[in-house]
Formats: sequence, structure tokens, C-alpha cells
Amino acid sequence: MSVTSLSESEVTAANRSRQIPSPVLEFDRVTKRYGRTTVVDDLSFTVQPGRVTGFLGPNGSGKSTTIKILLGLASADKGRATIGGRFYREFSDPTGTVGVILEPNAFHPGRSGRNHLRILAEAAGIAPSRVDGMLDDVGLSGSAADRRVGAYSLGMRQRLSLAAALLGDPPVLVLDEPANGLDPQGIHTLRDLLRARAAGGDTVLVSSHILAEMELLADDLVVIDKGRLVASGPMADLQQIANVVRTPDPNTLQRALESSGGMVERADDETLIVRGLSLDEIGDQAFNHQVRVHELSPKVGSLEELFLSWTAGSRSNGEDNEKAKVLS
Amino acid sequence: MTWSRLIRSELRKLTTTAMPLAFLAVLALLAIVNGIAVAFGTDMDGSKAFISTAEDQQSLMAFAANAFMGAGLFGAVAAAREYGHHTVVPTYLAVPRRHRAVLAQYAAVAVGGAVLSLIGAALTMGAVAAALPSTEYGFLVSSGGVVRVLAAATFAGACGAVFGAGIGGLIRNTGGALATAVLILIVAPPLLVQLATDTASWIPSTLANVVSGVATDTGTFAAIAVLVAWAAVPAAVGLLAVERRDVV
Repeated sequence: MSVTSLSESEVTAANRSRQIPSPVLEFDRVTKRYGRTTVVDDLSFTVQPGRVTGFLGPNGSGKSTTIKILLGLASADKGRATIGGRFYREFSDPTGTVGVILEPNAFHPGRSGRNHLRILAEAAGIAPSRVDGMLDDVGLSGSAADRRVGAYSLGMRQRLSLAAALLGDPPVLVLDEPANGLDPQGIHTLRDLLRARAAGGDTVLVSSHILAEMELLADDLVVIDKGRLVASGPMADLQQIANVVRTPDPNTLQRALESSGGMVERADDETLIVRGLSLDEIGDQAFNHQVRVHELSPKVGSLEELFLSWTAGSRSNGEDNEKAKVLS
Repeated sequence: MTWSRLIRSELRKLTTTAMPLAFLAVLALLAIVNGIAVAFGTDMDGSKAFISTAEDQQSLMAFAANAFMGAGLFGAVAAAREYGHHTVVPTYLAVPRRHRAVLAQYAAVAVGGAVLSLIGAALTMGAVAAALPSTEYGFLVSSGGVVRVLAAATFAGACGAVFGAGIGGLIRNTGGALATAVLILIVAPPLLVQLATDTASWIPSTLANVVSGVATDTGTFAAIAVLVAWAAVPAAVGLLAVERRDVV
């Protein structure tokens, strides 16, 4: 079973622009402790509407707790997490404001998928016809909808979670591992849906461990490690980890760039890898020192490579959280 | 977001799993046991004195004490399983002011406990009535007595379910909530009565019997008030705990 139909109806619906701008998610110096353990540590970042923001971090880095604080399921010891300047519990129509996938198995196994959605729809004041529509959209109509959730595959449960998240047609989506268990076609469709939602002005925050998928999906990234922010900003900026210069006079140019504050590494006889200086700055230095340049281009790192470098602290002893690389 | 929608949603939770059917099966079994006792049971002297008067028959059919206990277990399971299955997460996302969700749940389990208890009382009464023709005694309970037994069971069932739901919300683990409810309702009262004899009048089973009209340890209104308190105290503690705790 796939979620093919999702791309044809829900994605189309997502393409419309909203009359009212979607809210910004703001995390302002959020800190959360459980006992003596600090799970989220002075965390600040924003999630902008009209973009898909990827939320990354190793297991136990505090992602779920951060999301729970935003959604009022956990309280912050310090700081605040708000949606358009308001706390989640202040919304009169939370289901119509924020769509959430959080717990992978938040279902009673003896209850049917249709009844699970009906219960949520009833509590939120959503018409029952919307339940049937959403079940159709995620490919769970017919007998599948009336089957016990306990008999569902992981992918079917995930689609039911997605249906629940979209039930109120919310302008904000906060999704924790939404692609978990989906087949490749389902993942592709989910990606189209989220991109269409963002293109329509919605605010989309997605946490995932599938870095390759995130690389295709996210416009912006927020990376945390041990509850602290280690990187955030547009994906394109973050991925540009260095610049490459090819020149017949690498020695002169290396000295010039290093004296300007750049970190220079020799790749081969003609090629330098430069960190800490922009393409413009490198070009200016080459011009000032009369060095011919045969190539000047950004070196783009894979998200996996970057993720491992950002979170190296948690894999060693994590002493160096101050190397936070915040570009935005 | 109206209360009626929230309560309907909570009622749908209760009616869309097999749990009510399991409780109905237990009620049917209890009724059958009562019917068999009437048909084949005797007193120590071999007589059927235990069904010889209207008062004896009303005592036998008085279901309120069982209702409080059974509905207590029902409420405890209904509330605690929400945590076991993590269904509190979508609930509190849809209703972030948690006290509203909890109060709606209390209302729904009260309805569920009341209905199950009414059915249990009716089944017991029906089984006793069906078995009586096999004895030398007829059905002697007055219509007023029948109404009182049914009403008392319904009321005690509602109170018991809210008591259990409070425990369930507080403990958050189905096994733990059931054990706590059993401890409070079955294990602790005899021990308490041994320590202080006067407390016998204020334990739920005695109070339920007073409301059913088959005991006179306290006044009826006092019994009703104290049964409500038995439900309200754990419910209030559970509500406070749910409001203050993180959902983990």
C-alpha cells in the first residue's frame, strides 16, 4: 500500500497560499532539566514560515524534549517556546493551528484507525467527513480504516499519524521522524507534501535521522547536540564548508590568505582548500597579490559529513560545545 | 471547544475498544453466580432463609458495593491505559488545557461506570428473579426497593469510576493503577476496621449498602456525600498531578 493519493489531493490543497501568514516558531533560551541532567541547554532558534526546517541531533540530544516544550507537553525550567508569540496551550483551536507527529505508537491497538481519527476530530470540533477524506488521502480508506491499529504495519501507522497531523489543516507542522516506516514512494510523496506546504507559506519543522532525506527536503537546518545548538541556518550556507582555489602559484596565495585570517590546506600542487574566507575575499586577495586563479569555487560537504563533525563532541567527550557554528 | 464534544470524544474512546465488553462479561458471570446461589444455595441449617424476606432479597440484589469496586477498576484501566498506549499525547495536543480533557474523561467514565453498574444490577436482579421460582419464595422486593437498588448501583458505579480514573491518572500504569484500586477498596478496609471499628461505617461498601437501603450505619444523604468524597479526593489529586506533570 502506498500514499500515492496523498500527492494528488493533499499536496494540491497544500499548494494554496494562506490568507493569514503562518506563525514563526520561536525558542528563546529554553532550558530543561530532569534531576541533575540538563536535557535542553539555553537553546534559541526560530523556524520561519514558508520553509522546511530540519531539526537534527543524535539520539538523546534533546530534540523530542524541545518539541514537547513547544507543544506544552513538557514545561521549560527557563526560557520560552512559542508559536507566533503564543504558548501552545493558549490556542483555542490547537488542532487547526499545529499538526503534530510525535509518538510513533500513540494508538490504542484495539481501536480502528477510523475511530482513532474520529476521537481526535470530535475533541477538536472537526467534521466527521474530514476524517474519511484524510483516510482516503493517506491510503487508509475502506477495510484498512476499520481494521484494528494493532494489525497495522509500521508504515500504515505512520500514515495514520500523518492523517491525524493534517486533520485540522493546520498552518504549522511539527513532525518527529515522519518518514519512519514509509516505503520509498511514501517518502517521496511526503517530501512533495511538505515542500508544497512550505511553498504555500506554512511553517514546517521536521526532525529526522535520515540525513539523505533531510538533504533533499530541508531549506533550513537546526542541529543540536547535548541540548545545545551547534549549527543553524540555510542548508546551502551550512553545506558550504570551504572554498576551493586552483592556482599555478599556491605558495604566494596561501601566505596571502593565511595573513588575512583564512585556514588554508593544500589539496595538491595547484589546489588550496580555504576555510574562513568568502569567495569574494579570496578573489580580492588573489588580485591584490597578482596571483592568477584558474578556479575559485565553493566546496560543498554532504550533510552526513557535516552532521558528524557538528556532533563530534557527543561521540568523544563533548567538551567543546563552544565551537557552535551559528550562521543565522 | 465545547464540553459536550470533549465528553463525546471520551465516550467514543471507551466504546471503541473491547474493554466494556469484558466488563459486561464479568457482570453477566456475577449475575449467573447469584442466580445459581438462589437456586441451589442454602443457609447453614439447610434452609432458604437468606431469601425468605423482602429485606433479604434486596440485600442479595444490592449491587452498589460491587458497582463501586467494579467501576473503580473500570475507571482505573480507562485512565491508566491512556498513558500505556501514549494516547494522552494526541489527547493533550487536541486539548492542551489538560484539566478540560481530564474532567471530560471523568464525566465519560462516570457515565460508563453508571451504565455498566445499572446493567450489572439489572442482570443480577433478573438472575435472582429467574431463579426464585425454583424455590418456595416469590419475588418479594417492592417496586420502590427495586428502583432504589438500581439507582444506588448506578450512583455508586459513577462514583467508583471517577475514583478509579483519579487513581489511573495519578499512577499512569494500568497494572499499578489496578493494584492501587484493589488495595484501597479490598485490602485496606478490613485492616482499617480492625484498627478503628468506627471506620466501618465510612468505607465504600458500607456506604453503598446504605444508599441501596440494605444497611443503616449512616444516614442516606451522609452516605451519598461520603461516597462522592471517596470519588472526588483521588480525582482531584489525579487532576492536579496531570496538570503539573510533563507528559513523557
